[in-house]
Amino acid sequence: MIRKELVAASAEPLILSLLAKGESYGYAIIQEVKARSGGKLQWTDGMLYPVLHRMEHRGLIKSRWGESETGRKRKYYSLKKDGKTAMAKHHEQWSLVHSVLAGLRKEQYV
Amino acid sequence: MFNLETSIGEWRKQMLAAGIKTPVPLEELEGHLREDIARQMESGFNAQQAFAISTKCIGQGAELKNEFKKAGEPITTRFIKLVGIACVSLALLFSLWTFPFLFSPEISLTAKVFGLAAVATTLLSWRFNHRFLPVIRHRLIRTAVGFACCVGCVVWIQLFIINFLPHTVLHLGTEVPRGALMAIFLWGWTVMAILGGMAYGLEKAARKNNEQHV
Repeated sequence: MIRKELVAASAEPLILSLLAKGESYGYAIIQEVKARSGGKLQWTDGMLYPVLHRMEHRGLIKSRWGESETGRKRKYYSLKKDGKTAMAKHHEQWSLVHSVLAGLRKEQYV
Repeated sequence: MFNLETSIGEWRKQMLAAGIKTPVPLEELEGHLREDIARQMESGFNAQQAFAISTKCIGQGAELKNEFKKAGEPITTRFIKLVGIACVSLALLFSLWTFPFLFSPEISLTAKVFGLAAVATTLLSWRFNHRFLPVIRHRLIRTAVGFACCVGCVVWIQLFIINFLPHTVLHLGTEVPRGALMAIFLWGWTVMAILGGMAYGLEKAARKNNEQHV
């Protein structure tokens, strides 16, 4: 399992990156993150929604009410222009952290 | 005997009691819960087991309430934005209403230019003023400045409509050309639009700045 702090820090870039592929909704986002991380990256399901709402307030994403296959109301989220910019920044920063870590690790084996 | 609908109803009541009172999060959470229950049942659990697993996964009401509270925009910010939008809308309405009269043949070219500049400033200040406003990072100071802009709007329009305009029309009306009065009238609304736009724009400038520093 991945540590709680890292899970929290990665929530926004992951949501932005998932929404960059197209419109989605809370449950699908959680399932996709679980599947892609092999179940190692797990949020408390309900905690995703405050994050989504916060991102919406900040103008990174927008939402609309639609219908699920069963006819129930479902809230769909999609990326806004500012969200794309924020995602690019996240990618840049996480890549930097990754390259520093990878470099340090490589040095240990030299 | 376990009844899924009754249990979901009870869970909803618990969420309401925990403080998740606004309909949007609750509706979303319930949708999520129902989808997860359906998924658990598809994978072989009975309704009672699926309900227990899904409610545990979704989290405790009190914790969720705290997170939603952090996510929401403070009421003061919402109020300031609303007043700002109302002031700008009113200014835009009056500006656009007066706008066609600027093209009357009796209006001088100078008055036309001043009038059009006022309308353009009103329109542009609404759309772009956040780009020229300072970024106030401290929320309290930003709120105070925003509130001052709102008060400024109300005071200005009161002075302008109740004091300045009647005074100008009554005492100088015959001497001041109609075009000049129209330009003054339009600039009066422009000041209101700028103040209202500032109340709204300060929040937008701070938000844009945050996005740049993600």
